Amino acid sequence: MSSLLLRKWTSQCYPEVFKALIFSCLSLSEILGRIRPIHSTLSHGDFLLPPPPSPSPSPSPSLQTLTHLPSMASHHHHHPQEDPEPNGATINNNHHHIPKKPKLTPFISDSEICSEFAHHDLGTARINNGSFGCCPGSIIAAQRDWQLQYLKQPDHFYFNCLRTGILRSRTIIKDLINAEHVDEVSLVDNATTAAAIILQQIGWAFAEGRFQKGDAVVMLHYAYGAVKKSIEAYVSRAGGYVIEVQLPFPLSSNDEIVNEFRKALERGKRNGRRVRLAVIDHITSMPCVVIPVKELVKICREEAVDQVFVDAAHAIGCTDVDMKEIGADFYTSNLHKWFFCPPSVAFLYCRKLASTHSDLHHPVVSHEYGNGLAIESGWIGTRDYSAQLVVPSVMEFIDRFEGGIEGIKKRNHDAVVEMGEMLVNAWGTNLGCPPDMCASMIMVGLPGCLGISSDLDCLKLRTHLRESFRVEVPIYYRAPKDGEEIGSVSGYARISHQVYNTVDDYYRFRDAINQLVHDGFTCALLP
Amino acid sequence: MDSPHDDPRQNGDSTHNHVPKKPKLSPFISEPEIRDEFSHHQPGIARLNNGSFGSCPRSILAAQQKWQLQFLQQPDDFYYNHLRNAILQSRTLIKNLINAEDVDEVSLVDNATTAAAIVLQQIGWGFAEGKFNKGDAVVMLHCAYDAVKKSSKAYVTRAGGSVIEVQLPFPVNSNEEIIVQFRKGLEKGKANGRKVRLAMIDHITALPSVVVPVAELVKICREEGVDQVFVDAAHAMGNVRVDVEEIGADFYVSNLHKWFFCPPAVAFLYCRKSNLSSELHHPVVSHEYGNGLPIESSWIGTRDYSSQLVVPSALEFVNRFEGGIEGIMKKNHDAVVKMGEMLAKSWGTNLGSPPDMCASMIMVGLPS
Repeated sequence: MSSLLLRKWTSQCYPEVFKALIFSCLSLSEILGRIRPIHSTLSHGDFLLPPPPSPSPSPSPSLQTLTHLPSMASHHHHHPQEDPEPNGATINNNHHHIPKKPKLTPFISDSEICSEFAHHDLGTARINNGSFGCCPGSIIAAQRDWQLQYLKQPDHFYFNCLRTGILRSRTIIKDLINAEHVDEVSLVDNATTAAAIILQQIGWAFAEGRFQKGDAVVMLHYAYGAVKKSIEAYVSRAGGYVIEVQLPFPLSSNDEIVNEFRKALERGKRNGRRVRLAVIDHITSMPCVVIPVKELVKICREEAVDQVFVDAAHAIGCTDVDMKEIGADFYTSNLHKWFFCPPSVAFLYCRKLASTHSDLHHPVVSHEYGNGLAIESGWIGTRDYSAQLVVPSVMEFIDRFEGGIEGIKKRNHDAVVEMGEMLVNAWGTNLGCPPDMCASMIMVGLPGCLGISSDLDCLKLRTHLRESFRVEVPIYYRAPKDGEEIGSVSGYARISHQVYNTVDDYYRFRDAINQLVHDGFTCALLP
Repeated sequence: MDSPHDDPRQNGDSTHNHVPKKPKLSPFISEPEIRDEFSHHQPGIARLNNGSFGSCPRSILAAQQKWQLQFLQQPDDFYYNHLRNAILQSRTLIKNLINAEDVDEVSLVDNATTAAAIVLQQIGWGFAEGKFNKGDAVVMLHCAYDAVKKSSKAYVTRAGGSVIEVQLPFPVNSNEEIIVQFRKGLEKGKANGRKVRLAMIDHITALPSVVVPVAELVKICREEGVDQVFVDAAHAMGNVRVDVEEIGADFYVSNLHKWFFCPPAVAFLYCRKSNLSSELHHPVVSHEYGNGLPIESSWIGTRDYSSQLVVPSALEFVNRFEGGIEGIMKKNHDAVVKMGEMLAKSWGTNLGSPPDMCASMIMVGLPS
């Protein structure tokens, strides 16, 4: 029986047990607010020295104080041998707690997962991993170790530890993404920064006359807001011409994307223009779909597009990321979204063979200027680089899951599809794309009677869901097309699934919307 | 703070605020409390280099962790409902501290290196867009921080501007020596009908370290028709008095993690309200592009902004010292001069500048 079905069964057949378990999870969050175990890695208030770094992958002592609590119905597997214990038992002792029963599996358990994310606001149904990602407690602890190491003796850290630490992270990423050479992998804050790096180089090329005014940059209409502005700031401003690929939504196949993309490239090449750069999302943000990047990159090569930049902010930990397979010149993905790193760190891959490889610079110029982007990015002035240094710890964390990152990706995908279908069935709506065009996120149509008629309505409804129902989910406005019937779906929620999610999160969302529909709610009623 | 081991009631539990055993005789922070605040520093090292990376007391690190945790708990709520106000609160405190006219003049960025990129990128556009003539000059001190020199290369030289370096005499004996050299540098900048588009002046140079008479140099720049003046005051905040109205520069940056007890890393970039201010952009462009530099800088993608949020806590910490930041600056200055003189005497060498040309750092000659 699938884990989610088991959960469903529990919640439907034993609702009281279910509610009690959930209640205990909620009261846990209250309890956590009052206690500060000695070695809590996540206490606030006094700055406590974290426990000495431990090579073992077991959870840190503070997290172990939580593992004796009942296996939360919030997670996938129910271990029948674990007896529920009274709420709040033994929380006030500060000694390390040894789990009562031996683990039956070498993999991370549900209660350990719960512990790792115990710092999340447990009262919120957090179905928006896509926006800000998440970071487990043991990685936060590892990060604090690095921060402390720096603060202890920053000069020594700078001269003797920082660069090798960053190189180690870059090397791991290089292997993960199948890059040819570690020189191709730079670490930056986020995809927004990566975009600025790529686009600034394009801006210089216009300014220095290597590109003609009016040469084109092609991007998707659904490109991330920051990327669009970056294109305005560095391309339009410098005299480049920007073409947007209009994508339909909802989507039913990759062909729809490919056709529109070809059309946009045609427009780009009109009047003897060259297309200097194509910016292609791997997974668009809103609305969220997985784009067939490999195919689009191939088309770009056929159509003599100078350079291709794949903005894959969501991709690593969400979908397959293989640089040689995808074949782009530049590729960036955040590690803090779906790869469990703390905020914030992203890799920017720049193919060595790309003609402009040596012309890329971090816009914040330090003494490392001219030493290659990876080295430049490794020092952009005094800052906290710890988020870049925990990649090895993240690999350890991921390897605690069955199937590692592949296992996590698959389970997330299956779960989000299952939950998406559950919701559209419950509401009588539709998904935004077929399951094979999504990864760990999916667009779920909201009932038309909610009257979502603008981007502002979406923001207001999202706020209302957060404040009145404790559901966190982003909403996309999809304007009705000509000929569509009034009252059809005009809003889509982007639901995410990550390892900390529980089926109750989605039930709560389902029920919240049902409640709103039942109450005759429309967005027009919101202030 | 008394160590938790001293009080048997504590049970070894250092997690809650404990009551000191003896009544404090002074309202100010005590020596043991100071040691406790910096107990995370490596013992056994004589750490005489606060200037490079600064320092951050434990109570501010704790405040920072609180902010970090708040974000991690519910990041969407934090982003929509808390972040911007908290940054505004920090910016407002800075505005008051530095005597800026309007909080819109104060942006928070990572460090002075970032601020330099912001100012210089704008100069680069000036050349690229034909506002400046190729060859127009940017003047800076020859001992300007290396990152700033490279930034000039990346944004000015590359765009067609000339970079003129002013030789700072060292060892230096008086402000007049600096002023004379600076005037010469400006003349060189204006040679052949060039315009000096930007003068970059350190408030406190890094290496060798001296306090530069910035207010006077800015005045000279105005007299000599320099377009814009940028003061790189990476070290200044918490080291010397900072009054941006008095100094009169167009742009002024100082790190807060060096001498103002903030965690790594945060700096303020002051931009005098004028037409030029609206042309400054953060090089990492987000959806806030075009909403003014302070707003652009407050969101440059998902990141940890917590070091920008603890400025109120830093001010609280500073006010635990007698005389607040002024008291700290004076004590540091007196101590470093005393120690500098002790060392120079001990080694039979000399200081690099007179005491009144230094703040909390001083250059001490090593035996040849």
